Amino acid sequence: MIEVQDLTKVYKLSKSKMAQLKTNSNIKRAADGISFTAKPGEIYGLLGPNGAGKTTTLRCIATLLTPTDGHVAVCGHDTVKEGEQVRESLGFLTNEIKLDPFFTPKYLFEFFGHAHGMTDSEIAARKADLFGRFGITAFEDKKIESLSTGMKQKAAIVVSLVHNPQVVIFDEPTSGLDVITAKSVLDLLKSLRDEGKTIIISTHIMSEAEKLCDRIGVIIDGHKVAEGTVPEIVEKTGAADLEDAFFVLYRDNHKEEEYNPQKAFGGARK
Amino acid sequence: MKNASLVMKKELARVFKDKRMIFSMFILPALIMLVIFNLVGMMVDGMSKDVEEHVSTVYIQNATENAKNVIAASGYDKVATVSYVGEGMGTIDKIKEDILNGDTDLLVVFDTDFDEVYKAYTKSGDAIPNISLYYNSTTNYGNAAVSTFNAMVVDPLRTGLQSERIGNLEQLTVFNISETIIANEDKKNGQFLSMMLPYMIVMMLFASAMSLCVDAVAGEKERGTLATLLLSPIKRSEIAFGKLAGLSILASISAVVYAISSIFSMGSMSKSIMGVADDAGDMGKLSFSAWQVIGLVLIMITLVYLFVAITSLLSILAKDIKQASSLISPLYIVVILLGMITMFTTGKTPADFMYAIPVYGSALAIQGIAVNALEPLQLIFSICGNVVCAAIVTFGIKKAFDSEKVMFNA
Repeated sequence: MIEVQDLTKVYKLSKSKMAQLKTNSNIKRAADGISFTAKPGEIYGLLGPNGAGKTTTLRCIATLLTPTDGHVAVCGHDTVKEGEQVRESLGFLTNEIKLDPFFTPKYLFEFFGHAHGMTDSEIAARKADLFGRFGITAFEDKKIESLSTGMKQKAAIVVSLVHNPQVVIFDEPTSGLDVITAKSVLDLLKSLRDEGKTIIISTHIMSEAEKLCDRIGVIIDGHKVAEGTVPEIVEKTGAADLEDAFFVLYRDNHKEEEYNPQKAFGGARK
Repeated sequence: MKNASLVMKKELARVFKDKRMIFSMFILPALIMLVIFNLVGMMVDGMSKDVEEHVSTVYIQNATENAKNVIAASGYDKVATVSYVGEGMGTIDKIKEDILNGDTDLLVVFDTDFDEVYKAYTKSGDAIPNISLYYNSTTNYGNAAVSTFNAMVVDPLRTGLQSERIGNLEQLTVFNISETIIANEDKKNGQFLSMMLPYMIVMMLFASAMSLCVDAVAGEKERGTLATLLLSPIKRSEIAFGKLAGLSILASISAVVYAISSIFSMGSMSKSIMGVADDAGDMGKLSFSAWQVIGLVLIMITLVYLFVAITSLLSILAKDIKQASSLISPLYIVVILLGMITMFTTGKTPADFMYAIPVYGSALAIQGIAVNALEPLQLIFSICGNVVCAAIVTFGIKKAFDSEKVMFNA
C-alpha cells in the first residue's frame, strides 16, 4: 500500500535554472498537494506531460527526495522517518537510475540481496527464479557494459526485485525499449499485480496507461487534476478515449502557456 | 557498519575483479616508473661517458715556453688535441666560428708579451699578463674542455710562476684547512631521501586518490549508479564510509606500488646522476627502524584517507567527471607545492605546531622520518592534524550525501 497525502515538493531555482525555465520566480512547485492511494494487487498510473511532477512524486515515495510538505507512507512506513524500512519493501526502476557497468548481473544481484539483508541461500533461490524467468542465466557473468539495452533492462528489473518487494515503482517503464522488451516489461508488471504487489508506474504513453493501469492519476503542473479508472476519466471529461481526455485536462489545467501539445509532449505523442 | 563493509568490498571488487584495472592501476605505473627512471639514468650515463671519451680540440695562440712545458709535463696533450697557432686574426676568427659550431672546444690566447709583462712586474699597480679562454658554454664538450684545461694547465702554470717570483710558495700559505665531517650516519644517508620522499609520497598519494575517487564518486553519480545504491536500505552514511574505506585501501596500494617502484628505480639511477647523492648519503645503506616504519605507515594511512575524503567530497559536489576533475586539479597543484616546500627548508627544525598543519605537517614528518629525527610529539601532531581535517571532510561528505541538491541536482 502506498499513501500519498498533500505531497508538496518545492525547489529553489538558481538564476541559470530560472533562465532555462523562462520564469521570473525562483520557486518551482514540482508537486503541489498531490494525494492518492495505491493498493495491493493494483497498478496505479501517474499520467502527465514532461515536467508535470511524476518523477518528483515517485522519488519522494522512494525516499530519494524529502517532501517539503505532506505525508507519504509505504506499507505503513513514513518515508521521512523510516526510510530504511520503506526501501526494504520497495523496488524502484527508472531509466535514469542504472546498474554499475563494471559488474555482472550476478554480482549486482548478490550485492543488492546482501544489502537487503538476505542470506546466501535466499539469494540463490531468488536468483534461480528471476534469472530463469527473464533468461538472464545466459549472460549473468557478462559485465553490464557489454550487454544490449534489452539485456540491461532485464538485469535492472531483476536487481530491483531481488528482495521480493511488496511495492514496485517503475518510472517510464518502457521508455527507450524495443517493442519486444517493452512487452516483456509490461507482462512482468501484470504478473506482479497478480501476485498482489502494489505497483505504481509513471508514463506519458496513453496506450500503455490504457492497457495496463487499473487506476490513473493525471498530474499537470504539479497538481493532480483527475483520478479514476480509464472509463471514469473518459466519462468525466466527455472525451472519446484516454488520449482525448488527457488533452482536455491539459487544456483546462495548464495555465502558464498556450496549449501546445507538441511542446508539452516533447514531440513524442503516442 | 556491516553494510559499510559491503560497500567497501564492492569498491575493491570493482578493481580486483578486473584484470585491466589491476594492470592499469598497479602494474603499469610501476613499469612506467622503472622505465622512465632507468631511461633517464641510461641517458645521463651515456652523456657522461660520451663527454669522458671525447678528445677536446684545443687551439692555443702565443703559448709561452712555460705553458708548453706544463702541457707536456701534465700530459694534457695526451687527453686533448692541442694545436699551437701564431698571430693572425683570420685564423682566430675561424676558430671562434668553429667553437660556435661545435667543431672546436677551446681557444686559449696568451698575451703576445705574456713573459715580458710577467717578468717586468715589480710593484703593485704594474701590468699583469692575461690568458683569454674562448669556449661554448652551451655544449658539454666546451665546459669539460675548460674545466680540464684549468685543472691540468692553468693551475700548475700559475703555481709555477708564483713559486718562481716569490721563491718559496709556503710564504703565501697563512693557514691550512682540514675538514672533518661530523654527521649522524642516518641523517647523512637519508639526506637525499628526505628531500625527495615527502614530495614523492604526497604527490603519489594524491594522484592515486584523485584517479580513483573522480570515477568512483562523480562517475557513479554521472552514470546514475549511485542512485541505485541510495535506493537500497543501506544508510547513506554507511555508503559514504564504505566508499571512503574501499577507495583508501586502493589508493594506499597504488601509492605503495608507486613508492616502491620509484625507490627501486632511483636506487639504480643514483649511480649515474646522483653523484650529488653520493656525497650527501648512500641510499643503498639506508635502513629504517621499526619506529620509522610505523611512523611512516601511520602518516601515509591518515594522509591517504584525507586525500580520498577531499577528492571524494569535491567529486560528490561536482555534477559530472569533467567538473570534478576541474575542481580537483587546482588542489593537486596546492598539494604538490606543500610537498615541495619541505625541499627548501633550512637546517632549523620547524615548531611542533607546524606538524599539525594537514599535508604540510605530514611532509615535514616524512622528512623527519627519512633522517631519523622525528620526535614522537611531532608524529602525533602530524597524525592528529590529518585525522581532524579528514573527520571534518568526512562530515561534509555525509552532509553532501544527505543533500538532494548535491545528489540529484534538485
